[in-house]
Amino acid sequence: MAAIEVEGLCKLYRTRIKEEGLKASFRALTRPVYKEVKAVDNISFTVEQGEILAFIGPNGAGKSTTIKMLTGILHPSSGRLSVLGMDPATQRRRLSYRIGTVFGQKSQLWFHLPPMDSFVLLGAIYDIEKAVLKKRIDELAERFEIGDLLKTPVRKLSLGQRIRCEVAASLLHSPDILFLDEPTIGLDVVAKHRIRELILQMNREQGTTIFLTSHDTGDMEQLCRRAIVIDHGRIILDEPVKKLKYDYMNRKIIAVRFTGEYKLKEIDGITLEKSGRLGARLSVDTRVCSIDEAMRWLIAQGGVADITVEDPPMEDIIASIFEGGGQSLGGGR
Amino acid sequence: MHKHVVRAMNVFRLIGLYFKVNLASALEYRASFLLQAFGMALNNCSFVFFWYIAFSQIGGRIGGYDFNDVMFIWALCSSAFGASHILFANMNSITRIIVSGELDTFLLQPKDVLVSLLCSKTSLTAWGDFLYGFILMALTHGGDAQAWSMFLLGIAIGGLLMTAISVTAHTMTFYLGDASLIGSMALEFVINFCIYPEGIYRGVVRVLMLSVIPASFIVHIPLKLARHFSPGLLLLLLTVSAAYCCFAYVFFYRGLKRYESGNLIIARM
Repeated sequence: MAAIEVEGLCKLYRTRIKEEGLKASFRALTRPVYKEVKAVDNISFTVEQGEILAFIGPNGAGKSTTIKMLTGILHPSSGRLSVLGMDPATQRRRLSYRIGTVFGQKSQLWFHLPPMDSFVLLGAIYDIEKAVLKKRIDELAERFEIGDLLKTPVRKLSLGQRIRCEVAASLLHSPDILFLDEPTIGLDVVAKHRIRELILQMNREQGTTIFLTSHDTGDMEQLCRRAIVIDHGRIILDEPVKKLKYDYMNRKIIAVRFTGEYKLKEIDGITLEKSGRLGARLSVDTRVCSIDEAMRWLIAQGGVADITVEDPPMEDIIASIFEGGGQSLGGGR
Repeated sequence: MHKHVVRAMNVFRLIGLYFKVNLASALEYRASFLLQAFGMALNNCSFVFFWYIAFSQIGGRIGGYDFNDVMFIWALCSSAFGASHILFANMNSITRIIVSGELDTFLLQPKDVLVSLLCSKTSLTAWGDFLYGFILMALTHGGDAQAWSMFLLGIAIGGLLMTAISVTAHTMTFYLGDASLIGSMALEFVINFCIYPEGIYRGVVRVLMLSVIPASFIVHIPLKLARHFSPGLLLLLLTVSAAYCCFAYVFFYRGLKRYESGNLIIARM
């Protein structure tokens, strides 16, 4: 059964445009000129119950606008929307009992108070009975390992700890769908990994549908089976993550630092992107050369002080999708 | 009818919950809380001194009010302002909340957006304003039961009217893009009319104070009722105040349909 159904969804914004300079400012007062911007442009998709969907794209692609329409914050300009059989625009309050949201950039916890106080308030906001709420908090505290943090003011928590509390807060009312908007933004590698593990666990154990927007390719790779790529408000790809990974995410970036002067000779699948006196940046085409092989080759060069392996930025992946294949990312640029 | 009663009870319960959380948050900084509340009460005392000097120089009545009458409107204005800002301190930040996209948090919850938004912050200095009114009443009206009952009713009505004025002014943001200036000036403007005797205003200004600028409904009519109780006047006060609040509520929800959520990084303080 479908948890989310979207058909021909559009969101138009009317923005005032103004030429530069004081004269133009005065002119804009009397004769304002408006331009229509399509933030979301005729998109259609379905998300099944229990599915984890990655909704990805670069900044300004329309991800947040879509999530805001799905949760009832924004009203669509046109198109049809159904979330758990409800129309978010007209049944926002009813729907909010059955969905949870985590916006990486917006906190629902009181900054100066311990998370426990926010949890109690949220429990009342969602009309959860006291005994049920207590049981739920205990359960989430154990699962998210936040028992020790519940009585510490939020301002004293690390970002990773805070996000764990944010996710727990969004699950207090046991929602059927969890909307995660950039949940790992600003987190270090360990904290990201922990959050991803928890999201997966929740999906497996409770069948929660996850709608994840991110421009971190790691979120998509490690959490989702299916990904929708959006750019300039349009869906440019809707396919299994496995296929996406094979076709477009076949490059890793290795940043290496040496203890002294070094000399590198390019081999098949490894391209030197940038080199400095004591360090270099390499692009590895994982279809030709595995990370394991690349590491062994690098160590064999001798004098390695530090190595970092990164995913290429989302913007590069989108560019390669537009270019129509993985070649442009794999073989160096 | 039953549905409306349940809804009203839920709103009161929500206000109570937010009040508890806000107070707990304010008490995280106890010294700051006490200092700000006490500082505001002290600041307000300077105005009593000013009026005391004025009455001793001029003597008798000013604009039809004696010293105790002026103290009544000052006490009521101060406590109503305090109560509204203790419970609904976000009334001053509505424009910022709309522009920054912070409204999203309230739209995602199953409770009334406007009530949740208003209640989710308290003001520390408002406690000083609130308590100052009670001290002033105790000093000038002692155990006058009629004055005290109108004072207490006036706090509730005045607090709601002040909130309604702020909400209406800040809601203009949905239409203008940024109404922060109108928002910050509107309440100050109305309060300026509240803190002087009604008799000094004449003609059009008097009409405005009974209509667009509801200053008379905040302080002057409750004072009239404290002097000579009249059921008709009380009914008028309640009806007009309810109409004002309903207008602000409906106006906000009309504006909300135009909301375009922003994407700034937000923390709840």
